[in-house]
Amino acid sequence: MTALLAASGVSVAFSGIRALNDVSLQVEAGERVGLIGPNGAGKTTLFNCLLGILQPDSGRVMLNGADVGGWPVHRRARAGMGRTFQRVELFSDTTVREHLLIPERIRNGSGALWKDLIGRGRPRPEEIAACDAVLELLGIDGLADQPVESLSLGQSRLVEVGRALMTGPQVLLLDEPSSGLDRDETQALAGTLRAVQESRGYAVLLVEHDVSLVADFTERAYVLDSGSLIAEGPTAEVLADPAVRRAYLGSFEVS
Amino acid sequence: MSGAAGFFEDLFRGLLQGTPPGAVYALIALGFVLTYKTSGVFNLAFGAQAYISAAMYFKAHTLWGWPKWAALVVSAFVLAPLIGLVLERLIFRHLRTASAVSKLVVALGLSVALPELFNQAARFTAVAGRQITGIMPDGSSVFYDPFGVYRFNRDELAMMAVALAATLLLAALFRFTMIGLAMRAVVESPRMTELSGINADRTSAFAWALSSTFAGLAGVLIAPRFNSLISTDFFTLVVIAVAAAAVGKLVSLPRALLGGLGLGWFIAVFNTFLPRWSGDHTWLRPFQENLTPSLPFVVLFAILVLWRAIGREREASDPLSGVDPPPPALAALERHPKLTLFTRLFGVGFVAVVGSVVWFRAGVLWMHLVTTAVIMAVIYLSVTVITGMAGQISLCQGTFAAIGGFTIFQMADRFNMSVLAAALLGAGVAAAVGALLSLPVLRLGGVWLAIATLAFAFFFDAVMVKFSWVGGGTTALLTGTRVPRPLVGPIDFASDRAFLVLAVVVLVVVSVVVIQLREGTVGRTLTALRGSEVAAASIGISAARARIVAFAVSAAIAGLGGALLSMHQQNVNYSTNFGPVNALFWLVIVVALGARTVEGAIQAGAAFALFEPLILKGDLLAWILRGDDHLPGLFPIPGSWRLVLFGMMAIQFARHPEGLVEHGKRRSAARINRWLEAREGAAS
Repeated sequence: MTALLAASGVSVAFSGIRALNDVSLQVEAGERVGLIGPNGAGKTTLFNCLLGILQPDSGRVMLNGADVGGWPVHRRARAGMGRTFQRVELFSDTTVREHLLIPERIRNGSGALWKDLIGRGRPRPEEIAACDAVLELLGIDGLADQPVESLSLGQSRLVEVGRALMTGPQVLLLDEPSSGLDRDETQALAGTLRAVQESRGYAVLLVEHDVSLVADFTERAYVLDSGSLIAEGPTAEVLADPAVRRAYLGSFEVS
Repeated sequence: MSGAAGFFEDLFRGLLQGTPPGAVYALIALGFVLTYKTSGVFNLAFGAQAYISAAMYFKAHTLWGWPKWAALVVSAFVLAPLIGLVLERLIFRHLRTASAVSKLVVALGLSVALPELFNQAARFTAVAGRQITGIMPDGSSVFYDPFGVYRFNRDELAMMAVALAATLLLAALFRFTMIGLAMRAVVESPRMTELSGINADRTSAFAWALSSTFAGLAGVLIAPRFNSLISTDFFTLVVIAVAAAAVGKLVSLPRALLGGLGLGWFIAVFNTFLPRWSGDHTWLRPFQENLTPSLPFVVLFAILVLWRAIGREREASDPLSGVDPPPPALAALERHPKLTLFTRLFGVGFVAVVGSVVWFRAGVLWMHLVTTAVIMAVIYLSVTVITGMAGQISLCQGTFAAIGGFTIFQMADRFNMSVLAAALLGAGVAAAVGALLSLPVLRLGGVWLAIATLAFAFFFDAVMVKFSWVGGGTTALLTGTRVPRPLVGPIDFASDRAFLVLAVVVLVVVSVVVIQLREGTVGRTLTALRGSEVAAASIGISAARARIVAFAVSAAIAGLGGALLSMHQQNVNYSTNFGPVNALFWLVIVVALGARTVEGAIQAGAAFALFEPLILKGDLLAWILRGDDHLPGLFPIPGSWRLVLFGMMAIQFARHPEGLVEHGKRRSAARINRWLEAREGAAS
């Protein structure tokens, strides 16, 4: 059986400097996978290659057995790759519910210029219901009519997760969701993420700096250092690996 | 002489001939890059600054009889830096954290307002059809021929000498002086510079004064090349400067220098070798005759479209601006229901009263003006779509409107087509052109897109309009591009009253369309793109497709409005109505009043058509005072003050990017809300 999302032999160089060196990675359907590494290890570069923001110099990216190498970002998104951002990227001038209505319309593909012109472009009751269901799942249904500008960082992250969920992803790529959050907020976020993942069953690739979140949340993990994979396997084993600990220079303790 | 030798001689002559103008272009490009680097302002008002110095020189030397050196000192070394200082101190210093696009709008406003302000203040009127003297004695009549292929006159030598001196001076300044070092630092980050103890304000003021001096010098030097002294000629100088500066991606001074020289050479050499079409190819003549003046635009467009690195260039921004709190949200205010009811009733009442006054009391002139206002509102709704909804600055809306007008003229003139059908066809043609244009410029963002569309507008103006199948050819330009009024069954819209009704109907339909789009999939997709392009892509939105749709819809609306305006005036009147500078004016007036709402466009239409007669000529006051006799002596105020006010409006916009009307509405709504709530609180 082929993996849901697979990168094989991905290499990237920026003006001669190897950012990624022959990296391979697989995410199976419904699986929770972590991608960790110290600053500058190439996590973001790999993430961008998977999503199509960056074209690798060599190597392939497959989604559901299809080579998506030449696909633009939005096409990969439609094919089932959802994502969140390290630095929150929300659409200004919208409320939380409106925010989720946009991807719902893109997903169900019922929008068209002529429909707008005859007044059939407005949100339909079933679309609003779908958005409200996701908001409830994330526990932010109380914020539905709030403008996104008024949200806290933790709430904004949840809205991003909700927006990604509305696209009906098969794999959700989370980019440093704990960045900017304190310990309690991170734990709350981890709890919500796990609960939602269990109820929806999509796969997750978590790129994360905070090792405790990775230890908590993922089943399997990949470790990047200086552009190369230095370890992969079940999360607990990987984190106990001496090479991994050396890469982090003892900057964390695994309890 | 062998063919090859002749070729090289021609080439060499072309290069020599292109050097003097190239030197001036380089001078402008340097100044342009300097302001862009030190303040992030894409200073499209640079041409206006050059114009002011050129006009001042002309006034002092030719009209007042001052010696040339005195006129030069006053115009280029006193007035020009002073203008730079004033602009920096009063306007751009306060806009440092504003978005690049707001700064662009402010500069556009200034490019219209500054020349008018100077003309008013110095009682200067545009000069046409007369040789403008340069800075050298006998500058245009004493020649030197160092290589035996091209004769430089003294003015041309002065151009090269001044440009060379200025460049060396600038290089020395950067290399050897404290202020030069500070300027380089400010470019990297004003705030970081301030933290290390350098006064960023003073440094950027110095940079503005310096670059403005460059503009002034360039203006005085280049003026003899035009046979007139009109501010729009100088606006094209900016386009040249942008083309030259784009070669250095707007940040490299040496490359801007090369870009300017290269453009001068390219134009001259191109001119030398351009084939002279004749015989079977006479239809190409308009190209041949007009390609030279439009070359800078073609080059600029080509650079922007073909040079892929440009698209990836982000606008100059402060690296530390990320730590600033984001600007206050424009989130809609929770409005009191009573207030909403009241404003709706007031709106309906206002329209009813004004409508009936116009219907029953207005004379021919006022009927005409109100119709113009309604039609302009239609055209402005195209700006609402492309700028308000899609967040893209397009400076070629005038071209789209012109396409509507020309289609209706051509169809009615050649094929006797029904004008209403031709108007719809015009909208369709404009939409197609808009969609085609959007393809190459799609990946350009913000300011670059604005410049590419500006280049397209100038190209259309210089070349396409001259073709007989577009603008009717030269003969038609003399006899006019006549357009009949529609005749539908028993209704003859030749009557001004009937035509006003038609215009209002079109406005209502287009308004409804815009509102439906805004509430529908298209509008929400564009909202997402405006908010965050990467996030929009991450949910499956194709930015390219959404932008093509936005461009096409906006162009269609502009084309329809342009067709309507042509019917109204029964002539296309291309240069008065749709010239490239008009579109700048449109953009600024709409975004300043409110590009997000339909009301904003309608108010902008009213302001455009009615402000001058109603307020400046004093008709409103006269009506209130019951008669012209009681009007204070101040009236009528000259119409060009409108342009000055317009510049001020642009400046205000930078501080209230939601639009002045919207800003005022929100402020008063908040006040009334508080009052209503306090009253209810007291009652309960």
